[in-house]
Amino acid sequence: MLGILDDVKVVELSGSLSGAYCAKLLADQGAVTIKVEPPNGGDPARMEPPFITEEPDPDGSSLFLAFNTNKRSVTLDVGRPEGRRVFLRLVQNSDVMIESYAPGYLEDIGLGYTALLEANPRLILTSLTYFGQTGPYSSFVGSDLVAQATGGFLHAVTGSADRPPMGTALEQMEITAARNGAIATLAALMHRKQTGEAQHIDVSTMEAAVSTPSGLIHPYSFTGRSPKRGGSDGNVMDGMHLFTKDGEVTLTTAGTGGRPMEAWAEFLEEPGLLDPKFASRRGRMENWEELYGLVAPKLAQWNNLDLMEATMARGLVIGLVQNPQQVVRSPHLNERGALVEIDHPVNGPMLYAGPGFLMDGVNPMEGSIPTPRLGEHNEQVYCQELGLSIVELENLQEAGII
Amino acid sequence: MGVLDGVRVLTLEQVHALPWGTSFLADFGAEVIRVESVDHMQDRRSGPFPDGQPSEEWWNEGGALAYFGTRNKSSLCLEVVHPKGKEIFLKLVKSSDVVTDNFRPGTMRRFGFDHESLLEVNPRIISLSCTAYGHTGPWRRAGSRARTVDAACGLSYLTGYEGGPSVRASSNYMDHSAGNNVAYAIMLALYNRERTGKGMRIDLSMQETGVSAIGPAALEAQRDITRPRLGCGHIWKSPHNIYPCLGEDRWIAIAVSTDSQWRSLKRAMGSPEWAADGRFDTIEGRWHDRHELDELLGVWTSDQDQEELMLHLQQYRVPSGAVFTAEELASNPHLRERGYLQEFYNDHAPQAGVRTYAGRPFQARLMPLEIKHVAALGEDNWRILRVLGELSEEEIGSLAEEGVVSDRPKADEPAP
Repeated sequence: MLGILDDVKVVELSGSLSGAYCAKLLADQGAVTIKVEPPNGGDPARMEPPFITEEPDPDGSSLFLAFNTNKRSVTLDVGRPEGRRVFLRLVQNSDVMIESYAPGYLEDIGLGYTALLEANPRLILTSLTYFGQTGPYSSFVGSDLVAQATGGFLHAVTGSADRPPMGTALEQMEITAARNGAIATLAALMHRKQTGEAQHIDVSTMEAAVSTPSGLIHPYSFTGRSPKRGGSDGNVMDGMHLFTKDGEVTLTTAGTGGRPMEAWAEFLEEPGLLDPKFASRRGRMENWEELYGLVAPKLAQWNNLDLMEATMARGLVIGLVQNPQQVVRSPHLNERGALVEIDHPVNGPMLYAGPGFLMDGVNPMEGSIPTPRLGEHNEQVYCQELGLSIVELENLQEAGII
Repeated sequence: MGVLDGVRVLTLEQVHALPWGTSFLADFGAEVIRVESVDHMQDRRSGPFPDGQPSEEWWNEGGALAYFGTRNKSSLCLEVVHPKGKEIFLKLVKSSDVVTDNFRPGTMRRFGFDHESLLEVNPRIISLSCTAYGHTGPWRRAGSRARTVDAACGLSYLTGYEGGPSVRASSNYMDHSAGNNVAYAIMLALYNRERTGKGMRIDLSMQETGVSAIGPAALEAQRDITRPRLGCGHIWKSPHNIYPCLGEDRWIAIAVSTDSQWRSLKRAMGSPEWAADGRFDTIEGRWHDRHELDELLGVWTSDQDQEELMLHLQQYRVPSGAVFTAEELASNPHLRERGYLQEFYNDHAPQAGVRTYAGRPFQARLMPLEIKHVAALGEDNWRILRVLGELSEEEIGSLAEEGVVSDRPKADEPAP
């Protein structure tokens, strides 16, 4: 681990993907992170399908495994007074707390920001919720899909214009909220270093969704028109996915010096593309089925990786529509060391996605700690670090608090 | 007063991902100097323009400039390919903390601005390159669009209507994710330099940012577990979809994940007879018969107003939300009350008047962020060249005459 944040201590008390991922972004950069899970079954994400283990297993959920690397796990029922007391001791030892409960819940159990500050006046609190801490929707319940809907993403971005709205896969709004949460948390750590002041950060997943497309609000404000989905409908050269021999590809008209059809006619050896009716973008859209009929059979003769190499050599710009298998086996990503191997006691060695950047040529997640098993670090954290005796720990365990 | 006050960033940036990333740094108080060229006006041509009509001084007017392009940044319009421009750029590097670019790998080296060259001028420099595929590996020379990165990282393959083909996840989601990652990586590097005194070279890949966003699927792929495309559906939750409402293209999203939420939904519907069907009592049963369930639920939603229905369902604690358009969001009472939306008047675009912009999706009392200023083309030429470049007025004047420094597009640049 590069460990840039190894002087930062984080405590995560969250049952949401956005909270888990925000804490992971810090943990993957070395922040010493304790994930506090309910004693009875832990983070619900542990039991979310699909499972890497064949049978459902609290250490086998791909969602949980992916988003909780480099953390330690303790169990604690913070809703009970003894649990609350122990939690406040964890807070005393932390720089940052990350949580994602419904606004007001932490106050109700005596862990509102004021109470937390009494325990630790330097604590930065990062809350990630679907609608934020304030405003008329703050008490609403949400989900990633609900954020895509209320954040304008569903209407505007992914689906076809003549079909119902459709969104992107894999909870991207939670992930975007988490990325924003990590930026804000790091900024708050810098602010604290400069001034000594701590603060509460309020992240909204709905607002993360609004900020995700290149623009919803200002394009509407400038033109009076709401952006609407369907940008790739019938767009053979600049949006649709087309089949190759062993996968799919999306073409672009970029890199062709303003003469896209000439460049692609030459590359695909298909003179039909030179027909004047395909010369303009509009013409290509109006005659898209015919254009598709010319392009598709040619692309179907190519293997993905060969096509990538050949287009690259000509300066043409394409995107291979890779499936996740192709991604993890990608010679390019492997040569870069973009994925890191982490050996998990239950699941064995597997490749995990890195942070998306190399620092001085090194993947900062190289040498990562595996995703923790439920309560794996109870003794280490409670006894060795907080100074509880083994007997105290056992008593709390018997009482179902740990 | 911002948390990055005193940090100077020189950025050679185009299009989307990198300008989006550096706009966070500018919001936090860094002096972000966007080094522009009159030969590359595409970002200033891209609008959106007031009512779709670029005016005479179109290059300072676009809405995307205000949203992220030169938001809270400075603009230095300097031709760095010119020997004098290069010399000035390297002089600015001396007093800068960060240099960023999103050229294809190799371009910065050709300019003499690769990390090793920058280190010779400034041993504490942090450099970041934001590219599609990174600076190493067999695909490093490939060009890209955000959409092609959504494809290459695996996200688009997983996206699509149920039973249908894959669909590009977004036209530019990866631009924004990569931009967020740019901001995070640079702040990490600054944090690190504060502790160690050392700069670093960051090689940020948009594709890999995308891979980090499909983490679970990357693990599943190693066990040959495949994810079906389900549109707005979910791999184990039901009802979890969008349902038609009153009016054209009006919908509500409903996302039930527990039995208790399902019971709440039944109560919210007035406990219709169909919903009492025992098949729907369990998560497994609801998912198995989800198409039938979706259809029955859709009949119930179809004659209701989407926003009223959201308020009604939320009273019963059912996760749900109207499918809002940009027009509705621009006047949304929740976003308004939270102060998420900003009305901003760009001094350099009087014709545009006051327009509405989205804010940042986080609020923090001690770090209020907003658009304060949008840099016009070359607005900061004089200040930067005089103070940081230590050039005389005569020298700057002759650079302007030679076309090394500009404050307007070339005479033959056509209007957008």
